[in-house]
Amino acid sequence: MSEVAIVGVGCVGFQPILPELSYKELMYEAAVKAYDDAGVDPRKDIDVFVTCAEDYLEGFSIFDEFVPDQLGAVLRHLFTVSGDGLLGLANAYMLIKTGHFDTVVLEAHSKASDLLTLMDVIAFALDPVLNRPLGGHPYYVAGMEMNRYLHDTCTTVEQCAQVVVKNKKNACGNPYAAYGANITLDQVLCSDMCFYPLKKLEISTPADGCVVMVLASEKVAEKLTDKPVWVKGVGWCTETPNLETRDWSKAVDTRLAAEMAYKTAKIHNPRKEIDLAEVNDLFAYKELQHMEALKLCAYGEAGKLTEEGVTARNGELPVNPSGGLLGMGYGLEASGTEKLLEVVLQLRGEAGRRQVSNVEVGLAHAWRGIPTTTGIAAVLSNVK
Amino acid sequence: MSLDKITNPMHVRHWLGDMEADYIYTLGVAGERFFKEIKENGKIMGAKCPRCNIIYVPPRMYCEKCFAKLEGWVDVGTRGVVHTFTVAKIDVDGKKLQKPEIYALIKFEGACGGLIHKIGETTPEKVKIGMKVDAVFKPSFERKASINDIKHFKPAE
Ligand SMILES: [Zn+2]
Repeated sequence: MSEVAIVGVGCVGFQPILPELSYKELMYEAAVKAYDDAGVDPRKDIDVFVTCAEDYLEGFSIFDEFVPDQLGAVLRHLFTVSGDGLLGLANAYMLIKTGHFDTVVLEAHSKASDLLTLMDVIAFALDPVLNRPLGGHPYYVAGMEMNRYLHDTCTTVEQCAQVVVKNKKNACGNPYAAYGANITLDQVLCSDMCFYPLKKLEISTPADGCVVMVLASEKVAEKLTDKPVWVKGVGWCTETPNLETRDWSKAVDTRLAAEMAYKTAKIHNPRKEIDLAEVNDLFAYKELQHMEALKLCAYGEAGKLTEEGVTARNGELPVNPSGGLLGMGYGLEASGTEKLLEVVLQLRGEAGRRQVSNVEVGLAHAWRGIPTTTGIAAVLSNVK
Repeated sequence: MSLDKITNPMHVRHWLGDMEADYIYTLGVAGERFFKEIKENGKIMGAKCPRCNIIYVPPRMYCEKCFAKLEGWVDVGTRGVVHTFTVAKIDVDGKKLQKPEIYALIKFEGACGGLIHKIGETTPEKVKIGMKVDAVFKPSFERKASINDIKHFKPAE
């Protein structure tokens, strides 16, 4: 079976809002960059296009139909995944692994600023009979989860706040980040309490942006680029959707997604073998919980490691050198591709000021946000 | 392009659209029984998996662990334990709530799952993980076979 590589990336954003571009123009601009980076002509060289979008986040019924033209995919072979961009990566990877396709384009975007009632859409994802009639802001689910996670692991609120300080600082070195800032632990701890114990600055803010990537089989990749980034393994998993029966302390879906990806990638000791990790941090505590689920450390240990600086950009295990979603902005279904973009740039040695030294293996992880229990993981390497 | 960045999308030329999308959600076999018991008898029922010996609250038709069809109804009582909770200070529009709302997952002894509901008749500082709470039902003439037939849970005496 052929190996699979990422041979081109393009990103526009992420910005609090990108008012001058329509969603189609946003996708077009990112696609042009990716095709240029890969050196391909979408009208001739691409076998399949995979886009990732959820109708309610787009404001369209059957949004799938609105994507071919801006990607150069009219009358070509295309489908849309209703899920995070990393699930799109899993699909692209499998297409190439079949041996039937050599080149696949992956696209995911966020035009969050077009959506005037994002929280109503998220609330609409709660069980209509059991949960929705209670009303309220749907992020109360995150407050409840954080509370139980802190209770079970003895992780402290300071340790959670440190995630925000670190990620927003990392984002200052990232031109694709919307919300970089140098802030103090106290500023995070003193920010408004929104859903006890979850504070305002611990919640990622939505942003507009688009990521497009070109993937290729081994034989095509090696012709196109001398810096291929190999996809070594992908995994995904969904826990029960029921708020009532799910695990409120551990991200068990992410654990199984990671095990699936590690198995293919032959990763036996993630902490030692992974050089940098881009982990979902939609809420600060989620970075810690996800690190544990991804086996980057023991259950309950992530807070301590963060406090000690182990996960800083120049630490022993850099986590979210991009700035994460807290620093880059919450790109809805493009969240996973924000992570993927950073891993690719780092493994190519093109991360500029925030380049981590001596990196060979990177991990990209996504979680589909409140109220979901879907985790996706991908292992990448610059060594075949 | 102007040097001043536009930060409010409403200031860009746009077309405003909204989506009218109304649905009904049928309760199903398990939901019918569950809400009927709440409405008529003020009881919280679970359904039992004959294979795993697990009682699911809220009840459902099938077991998510072994996929068997659930058989047998169990009254799990109206007293539960706070598994986790939060105090919401803002509403869905991001506006500060006059009175913060306490959301919790309440678990029942011997049952898997529980109910997501609000905690009332107390103050946020007094709510703790592990505390016992009792369901407070609306008067029967006000009940509509809804999760809101339970007004809230309150600290047990
Ligand atoms: Zn069972």
